[in-house]
Amino acid sequence: MSEFKIVGKPIPREDARAKAKGELKYADDFSLPGMLYGKVLHSKYPAAKIISIDTTKAKQLPGVHAVLTARDVPHNETITRFGQSAEVGKGFEGLYRVLADKKVRFRGEAVALVAADTEEIAEEAAALIEVNYEPLPGVFDPVEAMKPGAYLVGEGDSNIICKFGCSQGDIKKGFAEAEVIIEDTYQVPFVDHAYLETEGGVAWIDEKEVINIRVGSQVIEHFRDVAEVLGLPHNQVRYIGTMMGGGFGGKEDITVETYLALLTWKTKKPVRLFYTREESILCHSKRHPFIMHYKVGAKKDGRLVALEAELISDAGAYPYLSPWVNLYATVNAAGPYCIPNVKINTYCVLTNNTFTSANRGFGAPQPNVAYESLMDELAYKLKIDPLEIRRKNCITTGKSLSTTGQVFNTYVALPEVAEKAWKALGETKKVEDKNKRIGRGLAIGLMSYGRMTFLHDTSRCYVRLESDGSVLIRSGIPDLGGGQVSLLCQIAAEELGVPMSKIRIYYSDTALTPLAGTTTATRQTYMSGNATLKAAREIKKRIIQKAAEMMNVNPEKLVIGEEKIIVKYDSAQYLPLLEVIKACNTEGIELFCEAQFKGPFTMVPDLSNIRGTIFPDFTFGAQAVEISVDIETGQVEVLKLVTCYDVGKAINPLSVEGQMEGGSIYGMGYALMEEVVMEKGVTLTPSFSEYIIPTAADVPEVEAILVESGGGLGPYGAKGIGEPSCSIIAPAILNAIYDAVGVRIKSLPATPEKIIRALKKHYFEGR
Amino acid sequence: MSTSRLLTQEFEYFAPHTLKEALDLLYKYKDEEVKILAGGTDLLVKMKTLDMKIDYLINLKEIPELKAVETNNQGLKIGATVPLSQLERREIIKEKYPALYEGIKSMAAIAIRNMATLPGNICNASPAGDTIPPLMVYEAQLRIVSKEGERLVPVEDFLRGVGETIIRKEELVSQVIIPAPPSNSGSAFSKKSRVKADIAKINLAIWLEREGKTCKDARIVLGSVFIKALRAKRAEGLLKGEMVSKELLTQVARQAAEEIKPIDDVRSTAEYRTTLARVMVEDTLKLAWERAGGELEG
Repeated sequence: MSEFKIVGKPIPREDARAKAKGELKYADDFSLPGMLYGKVLHSKYPAAKIISIDTTKAKQLPGVHAVLTARDVPHNETITRFGQSAEVGKGFEGLYRVLADKKVRFRGEAVALVAADTEEIAEEAAALIEVNYEPLPGVFDPVEAMKPGAYLVGEGDSNIICKFGCSQGDIKKGFAEAEVIIEDTYQVPFVDHAYLETEGGVAWIDEKEVINIRVGSQVIEHFRDVAEVLGLPHNQVRYIGTMMGGGFGGKEDITVETYLALLTWKTKKPVRLFYTREESILCHSKRHPFIMHYKVGAKKDGRLVALEAELISDAGAYPYLSPWVNLYATVNAAGPYCIPNVKINTYCVLTNNTFTSANRGFGAPQPNVAYESLMDELAYKLKIDPLEIRRKNCITTGKSLSTTGQVFNTYVALPEVAEKAWKALGETKKVEDKNKRIGRGLAIGLMSYGRMTFLHDTSRCYVRLESDGSVLIRSGIPDLGGGQVSLLCQIAAEELGVPMSKIRIYYSDTALTPLAGTTTATRQTYMSGNATLKAAREIKKRIIQKAAEMMNVNPEKLVIGEEKIIVKYDSAQYLPLLEVIKACNTEGIELFCEAQFKGPFTMVPDLSNIRGTIFPDFTFGAQAVEISVDIETGQVEVLKLVTCYDVGKAINPLSVEGQMEGGSIYGMGYALMEEVVMEKGVTLTPSFSEYIIPTAADVPEVEAILVESGGGLGPYGAKGIGEPSCSIIAPAILNAIYDAVGVRIKSLPATPEKIIRALKKHYFEGR
Repeated sequence: MSTSRLLTQEFEYFAPHTLKEALDLLYKYKDEEVKILAGGTDLLVKMKTLDMKIDYLINLKEIPELKAVETNNQGLKIGATVPLSQLERREIIKEKYPALYEGIKSMAAIAIRNMATLPGNICNASPAGDTIPPLMVYEAQLRIVSKEGERLVPVEDFLRGVGETIIRKEELVSQVIIPAPPSNSGSAFSKKSRVKADIAKINLAIWLEREGKTCKDARIVLGSVFIKALRAKRAEGLLKGEMVSKELLTQVARQAAEEIKPIDDVRSTAEYRTTLARVMVEDTLKLAWERAGGELEG
């Protein structure tokens, strides 16, 4: 095994310097001469019929260049996609409607678009558009919306947009064998992505009549969807992706790109459009709320024998990625446990709430809250240690997932990470305050990395070794701030034996960089990492071949490093890289390569009983917390948080730790404070003064423990960490609250208000 | 839809260099919609997100005399445009007015405190304003000036309701005057919020004057529990002239919790606020009593 020079080292990222100096140009840091300002008019009702729209006054306002409604959109209704090119069938396709037509489905739905000389005029014009609405009753609760005769959100005959199931064994038999059965209902709310950078960009038409959209997007492959809305060939729309100030799944769907494209196409002028924070919270996607009924059966020794779950999620007003999110939830519903008898049913339902779609974890964090709380409940009931009950039941190498039956042939680190996380809490902290009770909680979990295998995922990357020994990379990879771009540089630098400073990368451009697929599904280390590795290794092979000829040695005896081609075990014998490059160039040997990496391909599963391989692989982790709960105020303080994951191989340990720490805090907010409150479709938390997320001052001590088994499918055995890192902290905190004060909070967020109420109830019932 | 990005309306902007100029402008435009800018941390947000009509905006930050802080034996005089972060750095405030110091420290983030001012926090008249309970327990007064003269008004009398004060359109608050507390007194502030930098679910300040083991005088003010900061007078009454014991403080706290009139809102519930008020008043009473040099048995 060769020693790594760059991979695995905690080095500054490629983008670090420009970001630290404030020189990086985000989507908002860009303008063009003669640029117009776009504005969206949003619906003021969650459910209403549009009787008429009069744009006359808005159009007459001086400085207004365009006012568009549904009738101005060439193809106002298409299909929601997220970058896939394989056919997946009707089960996953949802309606994508650009502008509201005849009927509005949620408060904040786009009804009209304006482009004007200034943002102020655009705002004024939007206010001058006269929309005549006839309010409709609407439906705001997914359980109500499922009932026959419920108000119909869309044009179909049912609000249920998808039903998924999976089962193994015999559920009746399983519960008959059980010696203890626990049944409960858990609920999780809408939450916002709350990225620093809201949705926005600038679009213009170039001399080739191509619509260029410079935007922060996780899925630049949406250029095809935008082209279809406009009725243009795909190659007439180009996305130029920028580094993002956070994505978290919120920039996985089309955000403002279609609006930008329409406005620039109609006016033939550059147009800029950015959502305000309020628009971002009111009008763009949220994480799915779920109502989860669980029933778990076990033997007295703690062995699980049966698990039955019914999951109901709120899709909001349009499907977007709801079917996919619900598929993830279904696959994750039995958690990382070996259970012989399992039955899961999942329903996803339209309502007149703001639509829901991808949010970091993509359907995994929700069921995790339920099953990890129930495991804890079981541990207490049977007087088994929380670690022990998990060790006893968790999946180990060679075992299979209890929902789909997918077998794990590579190392399953669950027992190891659980033990490490639990142990790292160390000695119990002492508190002076007699009203504060200390508690500890543990949760384990698994989450896929890489897209669902029936999507037939690919990623491409181009690498070129220049004549002076510098390297150029082109990859369509979007960077959310997680270090996706820098990762590719590190891989190329390692493989070609050059320092990071000699790498230049161009990224996220649908016209000029090879398409690398979406930065979603925790797939970029795995997919684009492998594509880069493949391209760089191809060039390396040619270099070494040539060097071997020049040195007259067997190519297998040569290694590359520090800009030299060196004979193994005899570092005095080498050729400078530059000399070999010169020789290659003289002979016309190609020192460039565009490589494609393909994930495993499978067939679309039977959605009523999802079995077999659905995901390429999983990341396993455990999180443990120590908290204090004030029994008089219900205030929870997280004192220590441990996050331990098998990351396969940490290509840049700093980035991996960053993901693990950031993910933990993302999940801590979910556990303790975050909730987009909607009352009959009206958002009561439209800004950061109502919608609360943890601030730097609220972050506890976080210890990230990296296990590097090398068992991943990514380059050098790496696994994905972005989404898994946030998906199990919430139940760990709920379990710690129970440990501290003996009350179990069954709906997120676990606010002091809920804890005090539960404590009072507990106190009275206890007497 | 509200927007936090834009100031969409047109208005005329003044930045006078003397107080006289500012007062002349206020007088001249007293029948129009005029707003005064001191720190702007509340005003600018409102101008962007609410449908607030403004014809004239008068920035006070160029007036030297409003930037001064005067201290003497009588107390403190704080100019209208002194940023809160300057106050929190003054030793005298930390030492003599701990409730005010703690109130300011609990407020928002550093960037906001670098801009925000005391009169701004008062004139904004939010029921949750963090400097209001401390100023009320110290019996602070506001110097209110106009072209025609000036008047001194206690903060307590200045506030009328949510966003409502007794200030007239030609007037401005030029100074906050805080009398020096007697040496045998103690005070403290407490606040509970959802995260560190947040608007209070409840905030409160307590001031106690001690004479041996007796509480000679007391002021208890709670914020975010009524349409304006609320003085728990019956709770104060239970303390005045009484020997202080743990039992008494518990009783006073219960009484204070009964006097408040909280509501359910996006930050918390009335039920929870009542629970919190009792716990917080009790803890803060103990702290204020200790700071007054008092002891508690048991």
